[in-house]
Amino acid sequence: MDKSILVLDKGTRCTAWNYSGERLVAGLIDGSLAIYDSTDPASSNFTCTHRFKGLEAHNGSIVKVVWAPPEYGDAVACISEDGNLSLWEEIVDDTEGPHWKMCKCFDRNTSQVLDVQFGYGQTSLKLVAAYSDGRVKIHELLDTLELEKWQLQAEFQNVIDLVSKFGNVSCISASISWNPERIEVRQSSFVLGFNSNTPSLNSAKVWEFDLDHQRWLPVAELSLPEDKGDQVSSVAWAPNIGRPYELIAVATQKGISIWQLRSNPDHDGRLSVHRVALLSGHENEVWEMEWDMSGMTLATTGSDGVVRLWQSNLNGAWHEQAVLAPPS
Amino acid sequence: MPAVASDSGDFNSLSIVPHSLETQTPRVYPLRTSRTAPPFGRVSISWGRGSTLRVSLLQPGGAESDGEVVEVNLTNAEGGEISEAERQRIAHGSVTPFALLQSRKNQMDELQYDKTWWVHVMEYSNEIKSLLGTSKSYITPTIENPKALLEDVEEPTSLKAAWELMEMFYADKQSQTWIPERLLDWLADFDCLLSATLPTVHAKLVAFQKALVTIQEVENDPEYWEIMSSALGIGWLDIVVKMLRLHGSYQLDQLGTREIESGLVEAVAVLISQMPRLRPHISDEKLGECYNTKPEFMKAWEKWRTQITKLDCHPYWLQCDHKQTRVGLKNMIQIMLGNANVVSNATYHWIELYISHLLYIRPFTVGLESMYTLAQKCMHLKPITNRHKLMGLLIGILEENTEVVLAECSRSFGPWMITHAAELLTAGSAQAEILLHEEQSKIGGICIEELHRLIYAQVLSSHVLTWNIAPIYLTSCMKQGLGLLENLLYKQPVQVLSEVLKDCNILLHSIEICRLNGIDYVSHHMMKIAGVHYWKHGEKGSAVYWLQQAQDEVRLNRIAKHLFDFVGKSVSDESFKQWEGMIDLLGTESKTAGGLEFLKKYRDFRRSLQQVEDGITTDDARKASEALISLMRNPSTPQQFWLHLLNDSLELLNWKDRPLFNVSQTNLLLNKLQELSLARLLPGYVDADLPPDAFRSVRLALASNLGRAILEE
Repeated sequence: MDKSILVLDKGTRCTAWNYSGERLVAGLIDGSLAIYDSTDPASSNFTCTHRFKGLEAHNGSIVKVVWAPPEYGDAVACISEDGNLSLWEEIVDDTEGPHWKMCKCFDRNTSQVLDVQFGYGQTSLKLVAAYSDGRVKIHELLDTLELEKWQLQAEFQNVIDLVSKFGNVSCISASISWNPERIEVRQSSFVLGFNSNTPSLNSAKVWEFDLDHQRWLPVAELSLPEDKGDQVSSVAWAPNIGRPYELIAVATQKGISIWQLRSNPDHDGRLSVHRVALLSGHENEVWEMEWDMSGMTLATTGSDGVVRLWQSNLNGAWHEQAVLAPPS
Repeated sequence: MPAVASDSGDFNSLSIVPHSLETQTPRVYPLRTSRTAPPFGRVSISWGRGSTLRVSLLQPGGAESDGEVVEVNLTNAEGGEISEAERQRIAHGSVTPFALLQSRKNQMDELQYDKTWWVHVMEYSNEIKSLLGTSKSYITPTIENPKALLEDVEEPTSLKAAWELMEMFYADKQSQTWIPERLLDWLADFDCLLSATLPTVHAKLVAFQKALVTIQEVENDPEYWEIMSSALGIGWLDIVVKMLRLHGSYQLDQLGTREIESGLVEAVAVLISQMPRLRPHISDEKLGECYNTKPEFMKAWEKWRTQITKLDCHPYWLQCDHKQTRVGLKNMIQIMLGNANVVSNATYHWIELYISHLLYIRPFTVGLESMYTLAQKCMHLKPITNRHKLMGLLIGILEENTEVVLAECSRSFGPWMITHAAELLTAGSAQAEILLHEEQSKIGGICIEELHRLIYAQVLSSHVLTWNIAPIYLTSCMKQGLGLLENLLYKQPVQVLSEVLKDCNILLHSIEICRLNGIDYVSHHMMKIAGVHYWKHGEKGSAVYWLQQAQDEVRLNRIAKHLFDFVGKSVSDESFKQWEGMIDLLGTESKTAGGLEFLKKYRDFRRSLQQVEDGITTDDARKASEALISLMRNPSTPQQFWLHLLNDSLELLNWKDRPLFNVSQTNLLLNKLQELSLARLLPGYVDADLPPDAFRSVRLALASNLGRAILEE
């Protein structure tokens, strides 16, 4: 059954649903954010309940919005077209009912923020941001109840060889996906890929926090030797409900690769990776990828304007299961 | 559904269930948009609960039109045959039988399992069947209206038809000896389903019944004879006999002139109603004579056949003037004698031909022996272009190919069917049991049975009215059920957005599910979300309550600090009462975090101090002084409160009757004061909001108390 559940305001550039699918935040071309709520939980009809202008100092469209994990409140991070990253949350105080206020605007120098993602289930909230100069910054929340106070935990470039440093890097886009595991049995980890002019930065790499040495280490590179420089448009880490391996989807211009990642590091600390499928479907760029809650079905969208659903059959062969195409 | 709801038997609706059949090209489903059209600036996706996908369709930058979000439910696989409400009713109704069967399975030992398991499975199957609709046969003659051949009953569903096939061939051990007759009954109930796309006996019968009202002399209508032959061919004896009695020669005014004709009709009718049937019993309105064992049946069959042959050769036929009657009855006799050509002409669908073969040509068929070859032969004789999904399932069963049966179940009838029918399948076939229970490394180490349960649970969790039964199926999944249950619960809404709709049902229900499954960390996570939501939304009391439930010490300590700041400012005035209520709310929870524990002790201290001011008895004062010592000893008492506490206790320190603090206690307090005076020198120390001479007054009081204490000791 498909039905239209929400009409977005004119000029919407990006949207994001919260953890329970009961709220949507939309970023608009004029730099505003709009919040849509369900008026009645039984029906799924949503209306705009809040609309507010983003950063006054910086004009330009909002290009990306992301919800913070719900245990930190109703908060979103948003990136504006000029590359600023700010954090907004809904609060009630003595003077006013529920309203949205900016709680943090992250400093930036010359480079722009391209993508941002919150980590799950750690004792302290982590926010990883990828910048147009190929750097990654990981910010850590200092106070669980105040989204204002952050400190920079780490900063590095997306390269396997930790010694190399690249200058004159220009990235068009970046994609980050955290390991969705919530239980703190494993170290927090995420996968990151770039679309840039510097081949070594591009390929998707899995970063894991090494508790003993208190630093982030690249533990796997999700790319075949001949494809290492391929520009990555999107990455998605699948939920794991009990598989002995992790599944990560990586999209490049060659198609969507499904990678298996096993947690048995070799003597260099690298995890074994194995590409189980290379899927082609979207003619050009892949825009977004998202796994369902069981990690069995991958949904993707791309510049061909359709949604594709991918699944493995019982023999382990991945294939395109369905296409959702808007009427042309 | 985006899919075209046809009943053509192939996988035609949007369901994302993996199976092992060859990969087909992906199906394209048109998304129904109401306001937007391509090209899009961006198409954004987000999985909602379960198997719902939300697609944001955003217009390109310059466009002046709206964007929209379309929600797609990827769960419907019955081709639109069953309504949403009906599906939910079935989903809820099948929980108890399923859960009961699982618990019986867990309790049973192996020996019992082999012998009696199918009895439990049949009990389960009967309960499920009753959910899928009434089991009343479609073909029931009514006495009231002689011209009503078929009774109007509720339209059966393919789902029920499929369930009965599975039951008949796998679960019901008692029916193994009379499968052909069971199949005949099945066709009587569900032939109408096949009529939708192809000509069938049922369809012809329905059409004829409509025309019957206007037909005067029915025996002159060739269709009358054709339809009777068809009905006889597939064993609908009661209908045939009823139709025969409509013959004109039965009418009172005709009896004299058409005696022989009427005699022949009656003779055929009697023979039909005496047809031997290899089945233990038959319902009252159905005709035929039942035989339980094959030898008895064979004997009766031979006798019956002899009678037919005898009638066939009778000289009366020459005297019968009515040609249609003569030809028609002779044709029916040929059917009963098993003439393959006549049988083939009388039937339409291959399954009908199949039934006639089993009835009249191979009446002694028992079990599944060579049934598949016969089916192939019938399909060859009656080729069909548009295969019904039920036929796909039936062929898989006859072929004894478990993989095909599984695939047909899941792709044509959906996750509900495969999850529940797997129990029938495993009860009846050792091969199926191995196939369903074998761990598959290619799908992450689970077995196919578990895979289907997981998918079904995901489908259930797509809907707000069925998500709460998903855990029952997930707990029957040994390997990945808990993982999916966690993810399902993490997606449950916790905070309440509207004041009007404030209730915590979903939260409370989720907490209960967590408790039953031993996943308290998930409920703690949910309670944390609730606590933080309340905190941010100005409901501090509820916030503290939920964070306490979540045992979230980090956040509680943080809140305690926040309260200290507040308390610290107003300690000596009347606003004490404002936050006293909040501390009361903390109740008697023993596991409160350090900071909050201090607040409770502080509250108690304040109360006893209050009593001292009111009553002035030494006993009260002693209690208050004990509370003070305990507070000052407690490491969780924040330094910023020390001076407040001491200043508030000046009256106790200067107690007139006798010193309330002994030497060591006074020394403790003096040390604290000393520590405080050193801390005051450090940067970042916030001076308490107290009179400037408070420090001095306390020191003085302590010194004099120490002096008096030494003297006393």
